[in-house]
Amino acid sequence: MEILLVEPDVLLARTYARALEQAGHAVNVAGTAQTAIHAADDTTPDLVVLEMQLVSHSGIEFLYEFRSYDDWRKVPVLALSQVPPGEFMGTWELLQSELGVQKYLYKPRTTLAKLLKTVDEFATIKP
Amino acid sequence: MGQSRQVGQQSPLLSEQLLLAIAEELKLPLLQIARRAELSQLENTTDGLKEMQTTADMAIRLLDSYLFGARLALEEEYRLQMEPVSVSSVLYDTGQQLDSLAKLYGVDLQLNIGGRFGPVMANRQGLQSALVSLGYSLIEALPNLGDKRVRLELAAHRCRYGIVAGLYSEKEQLTVEALRQGRRLSGHARQPLVTLTHGSGAGVFVADAILQAMDAELKPSRHHNLYGLGAILQPNLQTSLI
Repeated sequence: MEILLVEPDVLLARTYARALEQAGHAVNVAGTAQTAIHAADDTTPDLVVLEMQLVSHSGIEFLYEFRSYDDWRKVPVLALSQVPPGEFMGTWELLQSELGVQKYLYKPRTTLAKLLKTVDEFATIKP
Repeated sequence: MGQSRQVGQQSPLLSEQLLLAIAEELKLPLLQIARRAELSQLENTTDGLKEMQTTADMAIRLLDSYLFGARLALEEEYRLQMEPVSVSSVLYDTGQQLDSLAKLYGVDLQLNIGGRFGPVMANRQGLQSALVSLGYSLIEALPNLGDKRVRLELAAHRCRYGIVAGLYSEKEQLTVEALRQGRRLSGHARQPLVTLTHGSGAGVFVADAILQAMDAELKPSRHHNLYGLGAILQPNLQTSLI
């Protein structure tokens, strides 16, 4: 799969990208919402792995922009965030149905093994 | 004459907000180490050990800076012991402490101590702790603010308020208003410095609180054509004629 990894921390991005690449995926890394839009334009991703807490523009702002383009309306999004999921309880409906976040993983409790397994699940449901 | 703390007035170093920011900030290096260790296991190699060591060392330094400030604030005498301090030597030592982390993040850390400054009145350990904490936050944040190769300069210059020692880069880090707002939001918002970092910005607030304890001030400032954050320090007038 072509994966767009939106991760603001350079070291974590490097680690996640390497693990995903070793699992056979092609990974494009972006550190901000703006660079993520450009990266998606370069290589239309099959999956976006997204940190919700970014510099300047948040993950939600990125998603509004990302979903505004027809080409990217159905690209699945996996949230991998340092924000505890409980904080999004009130907006989960918006994230899921309007912005297309299909799964939410809390980063501090998500091992690489769990991430790879979840990404594989997306690969199997790829249209 | 030294200022004494009024009854009920708490040092910012002892605030629950700063403690929350530190706790939130320390999750990142622990997470980096945990995931890097897991990757090394998956690859069956040991080539991540250096990275893990640097990450852990810097987390310890940030924690040490906070504890240093907190211990001083808990003492009866609120003010730090002031002494004549060479800015150049503090910047040099700060650079030494930040060098490994800068390399890890791909930040080109440079030392500019060309100017001739007399000593300033400060607490050496306090000033160094503040600059290392500040550097920690900036090194982690800068790669997201600009080009892939980022330069960060440790430098000092004179201004009309005294001598400014700080860290500067080509990209503007924080405006005066953004820092002021960040101070208000620290501990209350996940990203008090949203234009600078995706984290809690604890390094900036630890530096801010330690400098306040030295009656110094952390301010956004310019160094030639660079932007940055600097500590405004007072020259030591006793030695200015030497």
